[in-house]
Amino acid sequence: MSAGGLVTPSHTKGRIAANALPIAILAIVVVFSAAEPAFLSPDNLIGIVRQVVLVGIMATCTTFVIMTGGVDLSVGPVLASAGLVSFYALDSGAPLALVILAGLSVGALVGLVNGAAVAFLELPPIIVTLAMLSIVRGSALMLGGPEQHLIRDQPQYSFIGAGNLFGLPFPIYIFALVAIALILVQRRTPLGLLVAAIGDNERAAYLSGHRTRQTKTLVYAISGFGAALAGIIQSSQVHTALATYGPFGTELDAIAAVVLGGTSIMGAWAPSRARCSGCSSLGSSTTG
Amino acid sequence: MTDRPLIRGVGLTKVYGHLVALRDANLTVMPGEARGLIGSNGAGKSTLIKILTGAVAPTRGAVEIAGEAAPLGDPKEMIRRGVACIYQHANLAPAMSVLDNIFLGRQPTLGFGFVDRARQRREAVALIERHGVDLDLDAPVGSLPTVKQKEVEIMKALALDARVILMDEPTGWLAASEVAKLHATIRTLKSQGVGVVYISHVLDEVFAVCDTLTIMRDGRTVAESRVADIDRPHVVHLMVGEKLARESEAAGREKRRPRGSGEIRLSARNLTKRGVFKDVSFDLYAGEVFCITGLIGSKRTELVRTLFGSDRFDSGALEVDGRPASFAAPAHAIARGIGFVPEDRRREGLMLEMTMTENLAMATLDRFRRGLLMSQRGMSEAGRRVISSLSIQPPDGTKPVNLLSGGNQQKVLVGKWLVRAPHILILDEPTVGVDVGAKAEIYAILRRERDSGAAVLVVSSDLEEVMTLADRIAVMVSGRLVAVHDADAIGIDDLVREIGMAAA
Repeated sequence: MSAGGLVTPSHTKGRIAANALPIAILAIVVVFSAAEPAFLSPDNLIGIVRQVVLVGIMATCTTFVIMTGGVDLSVGPVLASAGLVSFYALDSGAPLALVILAGLSVGALVGLVNGAAVAFLELPPIIVTLAMLSIVRGSALMLGGPEQHLIRDQPQYSFIGAGNLFGLPFPIYIFALVAIALILVQRRTPLGLLVAAIGDNERAAYLSGHRTRQTKTLVYAISGFGAALAGIIQSSQVHTALATYGPFGTELDAIAAVVLGGTSIMGAWAPSRARCSGCSSLGSSTTG
Repeated sequence: MTDRPLIRGVGLTKVYGHLVALRDANLTVMPGEARGLIGSNGAGKSTLIKILTGAVAPTRGAVEIAGEAAPLGDPKEMIRRGVACIYQHANLAPAMSVLDNIFLGRQPTLGFGFVDRARQRREAVALIERHGVDLDLDAPVGSLPTVKQKEVEIMKALALDARVILMDEPTGWLAASEVAKLHATIRTLKSQGVGVVYISHVLDEVFAVCDTLTIMRDGRTVAESRVADIDRPHVVHLMVGEKLARESEAAGREKRRPRGSGEIRLSARNLTKRGVFKDVSFDLYAGEVFCITGLIGSKRTELVRTLFGSDRFDSGALEVDGRPASFAAPAHAIARGIGFVPEDRRREGLMLEMTMTENLAMATLDRFRRGLLMSQRGMSEAGRRVISSLSIQPPDGTKPVNLLSGGNQQKVLVGKWLVRAPHILILDEPTVGVDVGAKAEIYAILRRERDSGAAVLVVSSDLEEVMTLADRIAVMVSGRLVAVHDADAIGIDDLVREIGMAAA
């Protein structure tokens, strides 16, 4: 039997679909720059990139959750809390590494709790993470109160979000690093294969001898980690920590970017490279 | 009978890709006739039924209802013309009342979408009185015993003025006493002039309730007869096919090795899961194929799941290779050398969107780890080896498995364990929905595993398969292992009787 006989029309359709997003981005850019020439100014483009990076990191890190058929709605408040915790750590004079570690662990811990509730208590992800959204937002408000906390005279910390390296904003390098790491995990590690397998058929993955619950828990921790990383970058970028950062809609931006990037919301295989274009399209249309 | 047939399918043929599911099949049902439709799995029974209900359009052939040509592949029109089907698994809304279920989706209304409950009740009462059925219209369906649920389905069909009712394995989930009740209901239906098609592989039931029978094999209707004019061994021969029966019997007998090498691989003592199975004891030896057969619903699947750790038993003892075993998860069973091929490959076995190579590696990911990363090369090489040794078509590991035929999907599922070379391989209905050629290949694979010293445990309802494959045969009835035979010492007729009689 020839392998060619198996090529179905959906493959050709798939090829067009794979290129639909770059084409759409191009169209958006052309329309916006025609309507408002300032759209193409370096300042605006850099602005888009800064915005894209935050959503991009969260989307990249929450992709695995969506691949398993779940969702993480708690990223917004986690972003705020990570900023606040970093602020307090800075304030107490902790070294930079410890500050970042503290911020990131907030996210990872919240994610672990989300994941454990979803995987071990078998609660629906949308309920768990929605509840977590309120819990974390409430905790952030209790911790930080309603006022802005200015981050002053912390050149090292500020470099994370506001610095430039080789003429490009530093957060872009962080995003690139996170994206490359997760693409590598997805395509080259047992974990990546297992996440895809859980999204495709969780029962079959379990019957193949995999600890699917532990994996699901880990996946939510990664999502929380991503949100916390975005929170640190943001607080450093705007020199402020505030309990109400990452408002309602942040989680939807992240999810939209993942879906635009080609991950099925029902859980399945995702082409990671497409996610970058997902974020760019979102960024350019919002800014526009 | 001189009446016109209620339904008549002529020359029905259905081709899926290069698999011919049905060739030139014929089926006629007269008013008041109960026709048994029998044949082994994959013989084309369900395809034939799907054509008659309009769920599938035949490639060739025609269906006549009361002498008129019926439109093909149009389920709504078939229901309107009085063809109803009762499936093996209940098709009811369990939380709703019997009354609501009977009229589900087509309640009489008062306009503005309000249900005319008075009229609904009047019609339902008239209906159950006419058919002499005893049903509480207000009971929620979920609270009824299974046989009553079947009656609700039958009433639902009759409320639609069904003239022909197709019943697909209607007794699969019923206890023996309930079977008799269902048969009484069928006799009432017959006296009302309703035609019934009774699909079953329990010959006892077919002989008890049917007037005529149609035997299918390899997609053809190979024989039609009045039940009174045919005896059971003849029916079995027609089902299995003369040639295959002789061949498989010869092939099987030659190489049969009850208790294999004599070394016990797995030993179960008084395994019990409350309300499911009770006091199951057997030994599984290296180098043998041990088949557990029985009716659907006799809890064989539930039993093997506990052997693999995807379910727990309540009491009893399990030993693997002489050491006690109690598996909390499949991972533990796998670590002790057990592999498991579940019955439902699409729901439990395969990652359909993922590639063949990935599916084949799924039980062995740990072996392809190189530091933090996976060895893609190791994975695809292992995949290639399995693909060629099982001759999976097409031999291209990058194809997603949902593009493969059923038989090749099943080979992937078996192959994923062969990568591990398991000591014990458990398979639940390994050839359901697989064509004859692939079946033979899967049998060959299992024999090869057996000959290389693995213990192979097969759960199968397909007696032809059991007789072909088994070195020893165990019969399970309602959660108990009632007998274990050396395969040489029992014939298919006796086996049928044992499974059937124990149920009656």
